Amino acid sequence: MSNWKNLQSRSFLESSARDRALGLVDEGTFTELAGPFDRVTSPHLALLGDAVAFDDGIVTGVGRIGKTPVFVISQEGKFIGGSVGEIGGAKMVNTIKLAIDFHDDLVAKYPDLSDAEKPVVVISFETGGVRLHEANAGLLAHAEVMDQLQKARGKVPVIAVIGSKVGAFGGMGFVAAATDAIIMSEFGRLGLTGPEVIEQEMGKEEFDASDRALVYRTTGGRHKYIMGDANFLVEDTIEGFRAKLVDLAPLPVADFEAMRRIGSPEKVEHQLKLVALAAEMQPKDAVDVWAKAGNENAPGLLDVPFAEFVGSVKRLSV
Amino acid sequence: MALHTLEFELETTSGTASIPAPTHVGVTGSSDLEVILEPAPAGKVAVRIVTPVTGFDELWKRVVKKFTDETALAGARIEINDNNATPAVVLLRLKQALTQATAA
Repeated sequence: MSNWKNLQSRSFLESSARDRALGLVDEGTFTELAGPFDRVTSPHLALLGDAVAFDDGIVTGVGRIGKTPVFVISQEGKFIGGSVGEIGGAKMVNTIKLAIDFHDDLVAKYPDLSDAEKPVVVISFETGGVRLHEANAGLLAHAEVMDQLQKARGKVPVIAVIGSKVGAFGGMGFVAAATDAIIMSEFGRLGLTGPEVIEQEMGKEEFDASDRALVYRTTGGRHKYIMGDANFLVEDTIEGFRAKLVDLAPLPVADFEAMRRIGSPEKVEHQLKLVALAAEMQPKDAVDVWAKAGNENAPGLLDVPFAEFVGSVKRLSV
Repeated sequence: MALHTLEFELETTSGTASIPAPTHVGVTGSSDLEVILEPAPAGKVAVRIVTPVTGFDELWKRVVKKFTDETALAGARIEINDNNATPAVVLLRLKQALTQATAA
């Protein structure tokens, strides 16, 4: 086990799934569920002759932030790109389900519980979505996670934290978008079709996945923050993400409903306005949209130091 | 096609070191491995390795023997999920696991 205090200042980008899970909650409070010692490995990978992992690439467990019980799901990008298969998917689904059941039991037993004492779910995404080796099971897992997110809605807030190497793409991009609040670092990346896949399907002229600057100004945290796809932008340390979770954890569930980007007729209306703006603007690059949002120094916005960026950037409003 | 599972035991006669608590290190990333080290009575080290690679059984045994000899391990259970790691990486991860187990 890593030392909690040493973890806090560590780069979130470079931290393993287990270190992230451990460091995001209060010191000494994390208990892993279905961890490596339970040895629940993927039966599909074994059949295919591919390497397996004792935790199937996902760390799940429960901890505390202040008074708030926190159910944590953390994906490990180094194991087959953080892809979601049958076992890892089941771990995700059941962790959210556990949080909902816990919430219901708690509220039934203690009707005058404060908001801070009710559970939340935190998902640290690092994935390209479905594991293609077990694609049917993986897709089903995505649907089941979505189902649990809907069941959690209005009861148990689900917070996405995105700041790891692989980013949050593919089906898990949808799942991330369906959470209540999204916290990103500038190195976090969020999208549906990842850069490499766009290049593979549409050609290098359409999207050059080796152009890091292009990748980051299209999928990176700064862009997502300007667009409103991410609610919060934090510094790339475990304590940076943790500090934001400390702020969010005690909030009433109604506050989380307001943070959602999708999921109500009003939110759809807002999203349609963004689509209309895109159709009207025909932007050639993310920079065009940043300028439209009112940023005078749009082309240089990626080079501005983080603190200055967060302090001065104008976010798109339609 | 299926994954290769290798199981063997090493007799340890002169070792003194033991594993205080179950420990897990590493990620089965590309060219990497994960290790579970667990306490076991002195006298033998039981090893289970799951790997996509075949044809290196003797090398695995030599690497694990080198680890138990160098660390004077008396008894343990070692489980490894491997993904094409080189012998040097295997040895490093085993030592990392032992360091972590004894530091806890």
